[in-house]
Amino acid sequence: MSNAFVIDAHAHFGYVGAFFTPECEATHLLAAMDKAGISHAICMDQLTVLEGAAAGLEPLRDLFEASGHRVYYLGTFDPRRASACMEALRQAKDWPGFVGLKLHPSMHGVPAEDPVYKQAWRFAADHNLAIMSHSWSVSSYNPVQFLSTPERFELHVREFPQVHFVLGHAGGRGSGRYQAVRMANEYPHVYLDFAGDIFDYRLLEKLVQSVPVEKILFGSDIPWMDPRSHLTRVLLADLEDSVKGQILRGNAIRVYRLAVS
Amino acid sequence: MLEERIRMMTQERLELAKKLRFYDCNVWLGRPEGFPLAEEIPPERLNEVLDERLITGGFVSHWRGKTVSPQQGNESVLQDLRRQTKDLFAAWTGLPLFPSELGPVPGSTETPKEVRGVRIFPKSHHFPMTDWCIGSLCEWLIDRRMPLFVWHTELDWPSIYQIAKRYSKLSIVIETQVQKILYHTRPLFLLMRDCRNVLLELSNFVGQGFVEYAAREFGPDRLIFGSFLPVNDPLVAMGMIIDAEIPEEQKALIAGGNLRRLATEVRI
Repeated sequence: MSNAFVIDAHAHFGYVGAFFTPECEATHLLAAMDKAGISHAICMDQLTVLEGAAAGLEPLRDLFEASGHRVYYLGTFDPRRASACMEALRQAKDWPGFVGLKLHPSMHGVPAEDPVYKQAWRFAADHNLAIMSHSWSVSSYNPVQFLSTPERFELHVREFPQVHFVLGHAGGRGSGRYQAVRMANEYPHVYLDFAGDIFDYRLLEKLVQSVPVEKILFGSDIPWMDPRSHLTRVLLADLEDSVKGQILRGNAIRVYRLAVS
Repeated sequence: MLEERIRMMTQERLELAKKLRFYDCNVWLGRPEGFPLAEEIPPERLNEVLDERLITGGFVSHWRGKTVSPQQGNESVLQDLRRQTKDLFAAWTGLPLFPSELGPVPGSTETPKEVRGVRIFPKSHHFPMTDWCIGSLCEWLIDRRMPLFVWHTELDWPSIYQIAKRYSKLSIVIETQVQKILYHTRPLFLLMRDCRNVLLELSNFVGQGFVEYAAREFGPDRLIFGSFLPVNDPLVAMGMIIDAEIPEEQKALIAGGNLRRLATEVRI
């Protein structure tokens, strides 16, 4: 642990009905972080991703404390429960370890450009918080992904230039990637994490050629993905060590304004 | 300090990757289908791409075997492999043996020595994965001690269970593409528990702690490294094996030992 330095900018814990995984509890997250040399993580639990912050951010606050301030957390804004979520987010805004909001338009069934999200963006702007959202490409086998294509966020991105906005999964494996790359180049406050199964051959090298390196964040999507599935491809990528350092650590500290040295 | 640590971690992984001698069951030539960002590997660059990712050889398939026809794909992969210098074999695309089909498909012609495995696409090529339909192909494979490969997206779980039970001498490699296998771990793990002849390819077997879990529950002799090049970066599956908390001998089996054994056991 003493040598751990990686920051996983996209982590989860909690049981998931859709599949079996042998390791999904908070204790597993901490063990997995130790195995992969991860010092800190940005985390959301499965319950609040599905039901929003209204379901209770206390377990995340408690994990931040129990982990020795290693596991920071995001509060999910579920547009179907907007008022209750905003109330929970207001309550959590001064809690230690709370560093931003999470959006998931595909899961919540409300397109990213919908005006209902404006209150969440306003809240993030007012309280110096980042927003990370699920983003993906139009998918033939998972139709709801069309709700989270990167360009759908653009209206809010333009209106709130002070909000650090992370396109989780970097727009996915198809046309969404082109949009994500375009937006990361066009807007100084738009960033990309490569969590999830966007396992493209030489992805890191391609991303570094396409966007400024400070825009790229290491993320795993644990427990969907073991962080070790992403780590070696960063370490063995054809990139300078200083660039790998930014991707694995420095960029997340800056984007999420983490209180780590 | 940080860069020094990165250099050290990189070096450790490079050394272990070389030592484990990765041997890949899932390399593809031709134009990938369904992955718009993936770029085809020109056959003349295959050796270079594999070297760059520290892969010593393996089984190569051709996308045409799925997208055009098994005959076209099988012919293409053989042509492309004849230009290679690495330790590479072909995985052909198979069909039910009846009605008997012309061209280079299993059962219709003498099998070239380069062929060491057969993959089927029951959903794409419109046949059920049932005994009455592919039983004769299974017998054909058993006679040659040749493994059967199938993507999990091309099978249905009740049928694969029946086939694995009925043909217990057939090595069946379940492949974790072309979508997440994660959502199918409940039937997959039951199948592996009940059928010792089922093996698992690892290119998308990336859930938290999966390699340790599968090695412990089912045995390291049943896990096979596959990259799914050029869609996936081999370093993804390699990273899961390199960093797994299992003994190095087990890592070597998974990285290449198990597939080399399958390749050498084939009788043509």
